[in-house]
Amino acid sequence: MRGFELVHPGSLADAIGLLDTDDDTVRPFSGGTALMLMMKTGVFRPSRLVHLGRIGDAYSEITASPAGGLRIGAMATLSALEHSPEVIRVAPVVARAMTRLANVRVRNVACVGGNLAHGDPHMDLPPVLAALGGSVSVAGPQGTRDVAVEKLFSGYYETVLGRGELITDVVLPSQRGWSSAYLKCTTRSADDWPALGVAVSLRIEGGAISEARVVVSAATEILTRLTTAESALTGAAADESTFARACEAAAAEAEMVEDARGSADYKTQLLRVYLRRALTQAVQDGAVS
Amino acid sequence: MDASETVKKIRFTLNGRPVSATVESHVDLVDLLRRFDLGGARESCGQGLCGCCTVVVDGVAMSGCLTLAQLVDGKRVDTIEGLDQTGALSPVQQAFIDEGAFQCGFCTPGFVLMTHQLLERNPDPSEPEIRDYLAGNLCRCAAYPEIIRAVKSAASRMRASAAA
Ligand SMILES: Cc1cc2nc3c(=O)[nH]c(=O)nc-3n(C[C@H](O)[C@H](O)[C@H](O)COP(=O)(O)OP(=O)(O)OC[C@H]3O[C@@H](n4cnc5c(N)ncnc54)[C@H](O)[C@@H]3O)c2cc1C
Ligand code: FES
Ligand code: FES
Repeated sequence: MRGFELVHPGSLADAIGLLDTDDDTVRPFSGGTALMLMMKTGVFRPSRLVHLGRIGDAYSEITASPAGGLRIGAMATLSALEHSPEVIRVAPVVARAMTRLANVRVRNVACVGGNLAHGDPHMDLPPVLAALGGSVSVAGPQGTRDVAVEKLFSGYYETVLGRGELITDVVLPSQRGWSSAYLKCTTRSADDWPALGVAVSLRIEGGAISEARVVVSAATEILTRLTTAESALTGAAADESTFARACEAAAAEAEMVEDARGSADYKTQLLRVYLRRALTQAVQDGAVS
Repeated sequence: MDASETVKKIRFTLNGRPVSATVESHVDLVDLLRRFDLGGARESCGQGLCGCCTVVVDGVAMSGCLTLAQLVDGKRVDTIEGLDQTGALSPVQQAFIDEGAFQCGFCTPGFVLMTHQLLERNPDPSEPEIRDYLAGNLCRCAAYPEIIRAVKSAASRMRASAAA
């Protein structure tokens, strides 16, 4: 690594001002766990890092809404998510996913905003938040806008965030009545990047599925909602035969990428198996009240 | 602040002592500690995976190899060298010795600091909880069975002395 400027704006507006440039060697820095690896390997050589640690405590708060949703500040650490009573109550699947993400030290410093903005399709949090119907609040030189987590990624390590734009919060809609699960499959060692991630969220009323979200990650170039699998689930009984049909639909729909963790065919088979397990687990774990 | 500075003077508390240092922006926390002759946090993987570089900043464990030195400005930094400043080994250090929880010892400072973190938060961890918490610490000598015994032993010693 070489010398660069590390600056500490004291407000969101100042941070956006510092980032409002076409110079791509100027970047926001939250927990730094992803950036440090890119800097150490020389993939990224910054001229200026804009540290977001002092933009204000409000950006690391986690609050439950009376309606049954959540607002998570982008500077909340992954450890804060893991242990937050609000997250455990409103979105237990998020807290559970943290226990298999990296390790205690990384979770202690990595932030929700950095996790989402990094755009690595192997990461665990984006598919979970997408399945829960989450969106991000984005602030930039032109003002603020909301982007659904499922629409945040435009390519491998690419997001739709524009010049000077920062993620400020994650917003989850009411989770009441939804049953959710996330499973990942690592093929080489337990702590490897996953070959496949699958997140599901179901609304079950009177034994039938009234709404479903199915998201696949890691095996695809960007996280992807599997809409034909969702259609196979919607309106059907929450049982084995419905799940089997949804898994076949998912396998036909998902565009798997071959890499060192497995061939496309292998990952398609993993999807059949893991989607069924995730659906079964969501039903077993029951709905959020 | 002069926006063009890459070198900065920082002040922080190191194992209870106020100190200062002039550091370049790209220096990481392991290298900063080396300037204070502290070698307990050492870089091995350099990628956040192994825990050999564990440092506790404001009470929170992090990987020194992934931490920019300038970010500890104004903070409290605790390393393995701070544990026995009273002259006595910490209960975790003693338990690691008694259980023979190391061979070469390269990973030991990280395991000891992480064990203190675990026991502060959970004084009576189950074996799965110990394994989960220490999953980000790697021991090339594979002293894992002894390490887990040492953590359990330290936990019961610390509970006993807290009750006394
Ligand atoms: C050892 C190790 C193991 C890991 N294992 C896992 C794992 O099992 N599962 C998993 O999902 N992940 C894993 N990760 C990745 C980890 O989750 C990410 O590195 C981390 O979440 C990134 O967050 P950060 O705050 O450190 O981001 P930073 O490194 O600070 O930033 C990452 C990117 O986001 C940008 N950015 C930061 N904050 C914002 C913001 N608020 N708005 C817009 N852009 C922003 C930065 O400019 C940069 O491009 C692992 C990482 C390590 C080091
Ligand atoms: S050297 Fe820092 S975690 Fe391995
Ligand atoms: S004792 Fe040698 S690496 Fe753990």
